Amino acid sequence: MRLELGKINIVDVQFGDTTKIESGTLYVNKQKIIDIVMEDEHIKSVEVELAKPGEETRITPVKDVIEPRVKVEGQGEIFPGVMSKVTTVGTGRTHVLKGAAVITCGKIVGFQEGIIDMSGPGSEFTPFSKLNNVCLVIKPVDGLKQHEYEAAVRMAGLKVATFIGKVGKDVQPDEVEVYETKPLLESINEYPNLPKVGYVYMLQTQGLLHDTYVYGVDSKKIVPTILYPTEVMDGAILSGNCVSACDKNTTYHHQNNPIIHDLYERHGKDINFVGIIITNENVYLADKERSSNWTAKLCKYLGLDGAIVSQEGFGNPDTDLIMNCKKIENEGIKTVIVTDEYAGRDGASQSLADADAKADAVVTGGNANEVIILPPMKKIIGMLDYTDKIAGGFDGSLRADGSIEAEIQVITGATNELGFNKLSTIGF
Amino acid sequence: MKNILITNNPKVFEENKDKMEIIYSNEYSYLDILYMTRDKIHNGYRLLTHPLSGSIKPNETPYKSTIVIKEEQNLDLNSLDVIEKSIETASKFLKTKKTPKWTNKILEDFQVIDFSLIESAIESIYQFKKC
Repeated sequence: MRLELGKINIVDVQFGDTTKIESGTLYVNKQKIIDIVMEDEHIKSVEVELAKPGEETRITPVKDVIEPRVKVEGQGEIFPGVMSKVTTVGTGRTHVLKGAAVITCGKIVGFQEGIIDMSGPGSEFTPFSKLNNVCLVIKPVDGLKQHEYEAAVRMAGLKVATFIGKVGKDVQPDEVEVYETKPLLESINEYPNLPKVGYVYMLQTQGLLHDTYVYGVDSKKIVPTILYPTEVMDGAILSGNCVSACDKNTTYHHQNNPIIHDLYERHGKDINFVGIIITNENVYLADKERSSNWTAKLCKYLGLDGAIVSQEGFGNPDTDLIMNCKKIENEGIKTVIVTDEYAGRDGASQSLADADAKADAVVTGGNANEVIILPPMKKIIGMLDYTDKIAGGFDGSLRADGSIEAEIQVITGATNELGFNKLSTIGF
Repeated sequence: MKNILITNNPKVFEENKDKMEIIYSNEYSYLDILYMTRDKIHNGYRLLTHPLSGSIKPNETPYKSTIVIKEEQNLDLNSLDVIEKSIETASKFLKTKKTPKWTNKILEDFQVIDFSLIESAIESIYQFKKC
C-alpha cells in the first residue's frame, strides 16, 4: 500500500464568507459550520470559535482534536465506515491541512478534563497550542443521556473536520511525503538482511468515554488484526476516548501517530517496518488474555524480530501492556514498550500498575502527577467552571484570579503514550 | 461456578440485582471494594474483571465494581497479583489526594461510567450463557 501525503501548510485561520484556503490562510464560513453541527437533533447549540498560537486563550473541556484531511486520489474517503463507506483506505493521495485542527468541547459529564492553553507555561505541554484551531463548543438538548451526547459531539467534530478538509482537495501541497508498505513476502524479499519490526498498537476500549473505533467498529469487539500503517493516516482509527486527557489518543494523534512516522523513517535503512497489529484494552480479563495471546501469535506469524508496543490510558491497560510484552518476548521477539507514568508528585513512586522483568526497554511520555500552575487567560473557549472538577485538579485548584493549580494530567496530550509530546526520561 | 459482583455503585446494583449474586453497599469506599475482592481471592475466587477498569483515577471516582468467580482450585496467584498491584496503585493516588466530595449530578455521572465499564465485561462474560 502506497500513500502520498500532501501537506498544505496552514499558518492562520479566519472566518470568511466561504470556506477556502488562500496563501496559507484557512477561511471558514461560521454559519456553514453551525448548520453542519445543528443537523443533529441531539444538539441544542454550538459556538464556533477560533484559537491561534500565542493567544491568551484557554480551551476546555476538550473532547477530541481532529486534523482536516481529504482523499485526492485512491479509493475511499477519510474516516471510512463512519463518514463514508467502509472502503479500505491508505492508498493513493491524501491532502492534509497541516497546522489546522478542529477541537470539540462539551460538558458530557460533570467532572471534566482536557485543557489546551494557546500561550503560557501550559502551552508547552500540548502540541495543539501550535495549531490554528476551529473550536466547537457543543451543548445538548435538555435531558440527553451521556452516551448520546458523547456520540453527537464525536460526530459533529468528524463532520466539520471532513467539511473543512475538502477545501484542500484542489490546493497544491507545500510538501509531499510518500509512505509505502508492501505485502509481507515482498517486503521481506526487498530487505532480506534487515530486522523485521512491527508495531503493536493498543487502543482504549472499555465503555462510555473510553472507546476507540476502527473502520466504524467499536474496537472492544475486535480480535487483534493487521493494518497497513497508511490506513491509519486516512482515519481508519478514531477516538471516542474522553477520559485521562494527558494520555488518551485524540483522533489527531491517531492520524499523526509518531511511532508509525518514525518507523517509516528507519524503514529500509536499519529496519524493515512490516506493519501494524491493532489490539484492545478490555475490562474482562479473559478478553485481555485472548487479545495478548493473539498479538503474540500474529507477531510470530509475521516473523518479527522486534515489536514496538504502545499503550493508551491509565491503570488496567498497564496489565495489557505487560501481558503483550511478556508474551511477545516469550516468542523470542524483542519488544520496546511505550507508556507514561503516575509516579507521584515527586516522581518517586512506582510508575505503573503492572511490571515484569521482560519489560526492560521502556519509553515514557513523562510523569502525569507533576504539578503545574496555569496562569489566567484572557479568553476561555468552553466552560472554566468545570475545571475545578478536572482529573488531576483538586479542591480549590481554580483560584479566584482564574489561574489553575493542577497536575499535568489535566492538559490534553501532556504525557501522550505515542510519544507525541516533549516529555520523557533518560536512564544513565 | 458462581459469579459474584462486588460494587458500591447503586446503578450497577439496581441493574443487576435480579441477575446475579451481588455484594453491595453504597457505604463502601473504592478501596473497600478492592479489599473485599482480595478477601474473596484469598477464599478461592478468581478475578474476572480488572480492578482498575477505566482511566478515571482512583481518587477521582468513588465508584468501583468487580466480578469474581468461585473456582475448584485453591488460591489463584494471577488474581492475587493483579488485585495487590491494584490496591497499591489506588492507595498511592488516595494518599496524595482524597476523593473530592462531589455534587449529586457528578456522582450520577461517575455511576453511569462505572456501570458502562462493568457492563462491557458482563456482556463478554455472559454472551454464551444467561446471567
